[in-house]
Amino acid sequence: MTYFVIFLGICFMLGVLAVASNPSPYYGVVGLVVASVMGCGWLVSLGVSFVSLALFLVYLGGMLVVFVYSVSLAADPYPEAWGDWRVVGYGLGFVLVVWMGVVLGGLVDFWKVGVVTVDGGGVSFVRLDFSGVAVFYSCGVGLFLVAGWGLLLALFVVLELVRGLSRGAIRAV
Amino acid sequence: MNPHAKLICTVSLIMGTSITISSNHWILAWTGLEINTLAIIPLISKSHHPRAIEATIKYFLTQSTASALILFSSMTNAWSTGQWDITQLNHPTSCLMLTMAIAIKLGLVPFHFWFPEVLQGSSLITALLLSTLMKLPPITLLLLTSQSLNTTLLTLLAIASTLIGGWMGLNQTQTRKILAFSSISHLGWMIMIISYNPQLTILTFILYTIMTSTVFLSLAQIKVLKLSTMLISWTKTPMLNATVMLTLLSLAGLPPLTGFMPKWLIIQELTKQEMTPMATIITMLSLLSLFFYLRLAYHSTITLPPNSSNHMKLWRTNKTLNTPTAILTALSTTLLPLSPLIITML
Repeated sequence: MTYFVIFLGICFMLGVLAVASNPSPYYGVVGLVVASVMGCGWLVSLGVSFVSLALFLVYLGGMLVVFVYSVSLAADPYPEAWGDWRVVGYGLGFVLVVWMGVVLGGLVDFWKVGVVTVDGGGVSFVRLDFSGVAVFYSCGVGLFLVAGWGLLLALFVVLELVRGLSRGAIRAV
Repeated sequence: MNPHAKLICTVSLIMGTSITISSNHWILAWTGLEINTLAIIPLISKSHHPRAIEATIKYFLTQSTASALILFSSMTNAWSTGQWDITQLNHPTSCLMLTMAIAIKLGLVPFHFWFPEVLQGSSLITALLLSTLMKLPPITLLLLTSQSLNTTLLTLLAIASTLIGGWMGLNQTQTRKILAFSSISHLGWMIMIISYNPQLTILTFILYTIMTSTVFLSLAQIKVLKLSTMLISWTKTPMLNATVMLTLLSLAGLPPLTGFMPKWLIIQELTKQEMTPMATIITMLSLLSLFFYLRLAYHSTITLPPNSSNHMKLWRTNKTLNTPTAILTALSTTLLPLSPLIITML
C-alpha cells in the first residue's frame, strides 16, 4: 500500500514535469490529466474519497473538457511532439505492468477493516469530507459565499483581461 | 476601464483585504490574499500597454508563488501540530516558509525584483494601491505570527531591504520606481522592529501609508511620471510642489516632520533591546534614500529650470479641489508634536 501511494506521488511529479516541459499545450494537457488522476488517487488513500471524486469530476470532466474544446478551435496544424510515441508507449507499459504486479500483490492489505485515515483511526462513523461539505452549506455559509465570489471574480478577471480582441490586454504585438 | 469591471475589482480588493486582516484561520487568510491578487490584475493591465501587461504577469506569478508558500506552511503546521490558528504557528519549517512567503508578498530583499517593474507598469493610482492597500494583509499576517519567527532572519531581511532600497533608488529618474524603492526601504524599517515591538511596526505602516498616499495623490494630480516633468511642474501648481517637497522630506525621516516619528521610536526601541549596532547601520543606510528624496524635493521646488520660460507661472490652470490630498498632506507633515498621544494610543 505504501509503495502504491509512493507510486502515485512519483507519477504526480512526472505529470507535473510533463506540464512544465510541454512542447505545446496538447501534450501538456496529458501531463495535467496524469497529475490530477494521481492526485485524486492520493486523496483516496488518505480517506477523503468524496473530495477526490468531486475533484475528478470537476477538473477532468469540466475544466479539461472546456480546455480541449477551446484549444481545438485554435489548433495549429503541425504542433511539436515529444519524440517517437512508440518509445513512450513502451516505457509506460513497462512501468504499468511492474506496478500493477506490486499493487495486486499487496491488495490484501488494502481491503483490511479499520484502516487509519485522516479522519480517525479504525472504523469511524462520521466521514470528514462528507460532513465538511454539509457544514459548508449550513454553518459555514459565509465561507461558501466568499469562495463563490472568489470563483466569480476569477471569471470576471479573465473576461476583462481577454476583452477587446486586438485592442485588449492579450493582443497580437 | 469599464465602470462595472472597475467596481467589481474595487469591491473585491476591499473584501479580500478585510477577509485576511479579520481572519484567524489560515484558509480564510489565504482566500483573502488570492481574492486580492485576482482583483488587482485588471487594474494593473488596464492601459493595455505591453509594459503594463508584463507588470501584470510579473505581479501574478510572484504573488501566486507566495500564496502557495503560505498555504504550504500553514498545512505543514496543521499536519504536524493540528493547529490552524494563525497565531499558533509553531513548526520551524512553517515559520521559515512563512517568512519567505511574506517577504515575496511584500517585496523585501532578496525578493524585491518584481516591485519596481510592477509599479512602473501601472498607473499612479494603481501604484498607490499596490504600495499601501496590498501591503496590509501580508503585514497583518506577519504581525500575528511575529513571536514565532526567527529574529536573525527578520533583521537580515530588514537591513538588506534598507540597503537595496536606498542604493538602487539612487540612479532612478522615473518617479514610480523611486517610490518603489522608497517603499522597500520603509518596509525594511517595519520588519526591523517587528520582533521587539509590533506596535511600532503598525505605527510605521500607518504613517508610511499616509505619507506615501500623499506623494502618490499629489503626483497623480500634476501627472508627474519622471524627474524632468517634475522640474517644470512648478509653473502649473506652485503650492502643490511646495507641499510635495515637505512630504518627501517627511518620507525621508527628517524632523520636525511626521516621518521622523517612526524612525525615532524604532531607534529608541532597538537601543533598549541592546541592538545599538543594528540601529546605527539602519540609520546610516537610510542616508542613501535621503539622497533621492532630496533630489526629488529639489526638482519639485526649483524655479530656474534649464530651459527658458517666457512667464513664471501659467495663468491657464485647471485647479481641481482635492480634499483627500490636502488632509493627507497636513497629516504627513504636522503629526510629530502629537507623538506622546500616538504612543499612548498604541
